Amino acid sequence: MAEVEKKEVAAATPPWKPKPRPIVRLGIVLISHSLLVSVVCCTAGVVALFLLPMLAKNTYISENALMPGSASSMLSNDDISEAERLAKDLTSLNSGAADAGIERRRVLAKYLSDLGVEVGYHKFEPHQNQFHPLHFFSSPDSGLSRENGSCSSYGINVVGIIRAPQADGKEAIVLVTPFNFRKNSSSEALSISIGYAVFSLLSRVTWLAKDIIWLVADSQYGEYASVASWLRDYHIPVFSASSSHNADSCFEGNNINLLREESLDRTEISSGFRRAGTMAAALVLKVTDVKGQLEDTLSVYAEASNGQMPNLDLINVVNYLAVHRQGLRVKVEKFLSVLRWEWIWVLGDTLNFIGKVAGSLNPEWKFGISTPDYVEGTATLANSLYRQALGIPTGPHGAFRDFQVDAITLEISPKVVYTNQGRRNEFILRSARLIEGVVRSVNNLLEKFHQSFFLYLLTSPAKFVSVGVYMIGFALLVAPLPLVAASLYVDANKPDPSSQGPKHKLQINFKPWKWLSAAKQVFTVHAWGVFVSLLPYFISQIPNSTPAAHSIIWFSLSTFGLLVLYLITKSHSKPQKGEWENLKSVTISVVFIGLLLMSVVNFATAQIGALVLVPACLLAQPLKLDIRDASLKSFLRIACNVFISFVAFPPVGFFVLKGVNEGFGDMDVGEFWTWLESLWAWNSATYIYIGMVHLPCWVLCLHILLHSC
Amino acid sequence: MRSKLPDAASSRKMAASSAVVAILASIWLCSSIAADASGSSSETTMHTNNWAVLVCTSRFWFNYRHMANTLSLYRTVKRLGIPDERIILMLADDMACNSRNKYPAQVFNNENHWLNLYGDNVEVDYRGYEVTVENFLRVLTGRHESAVPRSKRLLSDEGSHILLYMTGHGGDEFLKFQDSEELQSHDLADAVKQMKEKHRFKELLIMVDTCQAATLFNQLHSPGVLAIASSMKGENSYSHHLDSDVGVSVVDRFTFYTLAFFERLNMYDNASLSRLFNSYDPNLLMSNAYYRTDLYQPNLQEVPVTNFFGSVMETVHTDSAYRAFPQKNTPRETRIRTGNTAEDDSRRSILTDMTKAECPFTRIVSSLESKMETVGNLDSLVNYGLVMILPVLVVSVWLST
Repeated sequence: MAEVEKKEVAAATPPWKPKPRPIVRLGIVLISHSLLVSVVCCTAGVVALFLLPMLAKNTYISENALMPGSASSMLSNDDISEAERLAKDLTSLNSGAADAGIERRRVLAKYLSDLGVEVGYHKFEPHQNQFHPLHFFSSPDSGLSRENGSCSSYGINVVGIIRAPQADGKEAIVLVTPFNFRKNSSSEALSISIGYAVFSLLSRVTWLAKDIIWLVADSQYGEYASVASWLRDYHIPVFSASSSHNADSCFEGNNINLLREESLDRTEISSGFRRAGTMAAALVLKVTDVKGQLEDTLSVYAEASNGQMPNLDLINVVNYLAVHRQGLRVKVEKFLSVLRWEWIWVLGDTLNFIGKVAGSLNPEWKFGISTPDYVEGTATLANSLYRQALGIPTGPHGAFRDFQVDAITLEISPKVVYTNQGRRNEFILRSARLIEGVVRSVNNLLEKFHQSFFLYLLTSPAKFVSVGVYMIGFALLVAPLPLVAASLYVDANKPDPSSQGPKHKLQINFKPWKWLSAAKQVFTVHAWGVFVSLLPYFISQIPNSTPAAHSIIWFSLSTFGLLVLYLITKSHSKPQKGEWENLKSVTISVVFIGLLLMSVVNFATAQIGALVLVPACLLAQPLKLDIRDASLKSFLRIACNVFISFVAFPPVGFFVLKGVNEGFGDMDVGEFWTWLESLWAWNSATYIYIGMVHLPCWVLCLHILLHSC
Repeated sequence: MRSKLPDAASSRKMAASSAVVAILASIWLCSSIAADASGSSSETTMHTNNWAVLVCTSRFWFNYRHMANTLSLYRTVKRLGIPDERIILMLADDMACNSRNKYPAQVFNNENHWLNLYGDNVEVDYRGYEVTVENFLRVLTGRHESAVPRSKRLLSDEGSHILLYMTGHGGDEFLKFQDSEELQSHDLADAVKQMKEKHRFKELLIMVDTCQAATLFNQLHSPGVLAIASSMKGENSYSHHLDSDVGVSVVDRFTFYTLAFFERLNMYDNASLSRLFNSYDPNLLMSNAYYRTDLYQPNLQEVPVTNFFGSVMETVHTDSAYRAFPQKNTPRETRIRTGNTAEDDSRRSILTDMTKAECPFTRIVSSLESKMETVGNLDSLVNYGLVMILPVLVVSVWLST
């Protein structure tokens, strides 16, 4: 019976064809409807991005071992008064004197050695961050800083180490307070007070399981440089005799020896570099004066290079202790300009309304968020995204992240500049108790921070969006790219419909090497992109020139290079049918690959890049065709294309963003150079992305727009 | 069929016991066989000794309270009379000398710090990474490698009362062992069944203080087992309070209130198990304590807590204890004894074995005792005796006048 049926079926469809598998059929359906799919996906991607503040979850302490706030503070007023005595001694020294810096170090070292802890000096030569094209993504190296440092400028950090009385000394917690020994600054003295109060307490307690390192970083050459060079020396010991000899000879006759001799009267100040165990966490403590605050606030900075973040648990612990124990207001940075945008408020109102309606339909759905919360969340999220995308660390904590140490910068700003000693002591007490609590909590850790998230965006100090949520928006944005590429390819290589029956419309006729010429073009443009990215290295060697001049040289050289390339590769043959489709198809594929790669290296960059590049690539179509068509739709497309390709040009994009944030007042061409210079100086992958993915794709889109078909 | 089995078993044992008595009578041998013989089945076995197995299944500093729980219970059962050699203590033991401990070499279960649980005489039998599911099951079932010392073995017999206390992190039908293994309710039930088969206990009290502790008893089927859990399925077991000086929670609620109950008792108190069970207040525990009593025959109101948490024995005075061992036991007799309860065990605790030691006086007393037991109603016997006295009295009065 069945056999008969089978035969009948076979008879009904004479040329027997295997039915493709469901996934293949699904792919074909998606490709044939690529326009609809791409519109839906892109819209959904952008909507998902704006929904992120609503989807943010409250932070929670994920690691059981941390137990923040379970122990009561042991800090007493004696510690505070002792710390204040130190601060007075430091500030009373005449700042005008040439050796005030040495004297301050001596005072500090004396106080530390009186506590009975190990004290050491660490001298370093600050080096300017240089553009080294081959050093992207490479680990921080020791050789870099050690070449031909001039003896004239060096900084000296003071390091105190408490050995945990009952522990094995395999782990350590680092406290950092940047301090300029040459200058008198009341806020820096305040941070030294706080640091010393905590340190003197910790030198007495019995419950330490990890060594405590207090690094008073000499900030006269910048806070980051001193911390980074100390970390480099900590982690990468130098065994070569020549370099150490070089360094010593450099300091010979300088006042570091003087400094050592003077302080050696009672206690040993170690001459060698002192180390403790591997670092479990690091806290950078700063005090700043910010005018016009309602209460004492604590700002948390967490972003390290290339958008790396410390474990969320560290921020959670700080936030929990600051809010629930010490009553400080915790802030994370946000874009204040976002708060002024009307449409964000309208969007917030709308979402609030939708949430309320949903809540009234089903009380289980609780995704409503009040409008101010939404706007605040958006502003914070935008800043978080931007800071991560830049890839530049937001403080000295970034140096720790390079060694996989979780670190954050805590910037405490008092309500007013305290003149009353009692109020000042109370402020120190609260800040020092916060630090003590964090140290005690981290001290309870058994392993490295690993329990909570490393990939997240903050929407407030106590709310975060995890990787699983924010990836959705990005995935939706880039999902149409391969579909559109495939669909374009099919269209371009379709045999003439006149010669074939309608039955075989979807059958792909493979002409395998047709895309090669398009790929060649794309490759050439990307090679040009590499050339453009390397140019600044040579331009920056030009002595005595302004950033504006640099920019202009760079711009003209790049344009010249592009012109040369164009003239070399220009084909004189008549444009073939389907040429621009092939080009667009290959461009889109390359953008897809570039964005995916970038999302692994630095997600925020890829997200922001996708917002610009995806519409630019998808919309690109020769203007000639649109003009020939002359319908409303094509005019709309022309307008969109022109606008997007204008904004997508990196310098224009930079100035537009800057203008939106800070107003279009004074613009300097040099600013873009300075900005890019900071990117490469910090080894930010964003620089590579702009040079090697964004710029070539922008050129290719422009090429498609101006294509003569 | 099933109902017949116990009868058959008991009759076989009766035969065995009578044979043994015959041997005793003929060769006048002093040994503890009599005690064994009289305990023919678990229902009628005399309570011989008390054991406690106290297990803390977690480690790491933030689980301080579990170790404090276990040590507190250790202290309590020791205070109530179970000697150290009959307590198997399994602890990760990483708290007292933890570098995070503000009070080195001390462990407290209360923030008032009145009582240091980690004094001089804490004997930890299994410590650190020895606290594994395998070792735990070996202890219960007695299947040790030959090199394991006696102090690490649960050398109980079929007259033993065993307290098994466990604390740590648990879930639905499992108990975590040091973040690396799990003990499942099936494993526990299987081990208890083996213990029953091997006559390793008369009565067993399992007390568990974890989240969803009640689920751990789901698979238990062996008679003579009583179980107490700190929480029902779906409930958490909470810590009682935080010691902000040490910086950790120091005791769990269930254990805290158990200890509070026992702190009011001494060895001679007759507080019953039902009083202990009723002392748990769900509002204070923040969970519902659970008791499984269906496998346990005696009325809980009549069972004193010291049956499990202490070691209160019936003692019989003897004239000379030391002449009671005229010769060593022969291997043959060892074989007669059941299970792997080695004969040396009878000497390990003098207190309980007094009753087993044979001397004329003891023998008379014990035979009297056993006869008393065989007589059905003592009251009528006494009454008959009183009635019989009356004529004697009358006759004697008549003779004297």
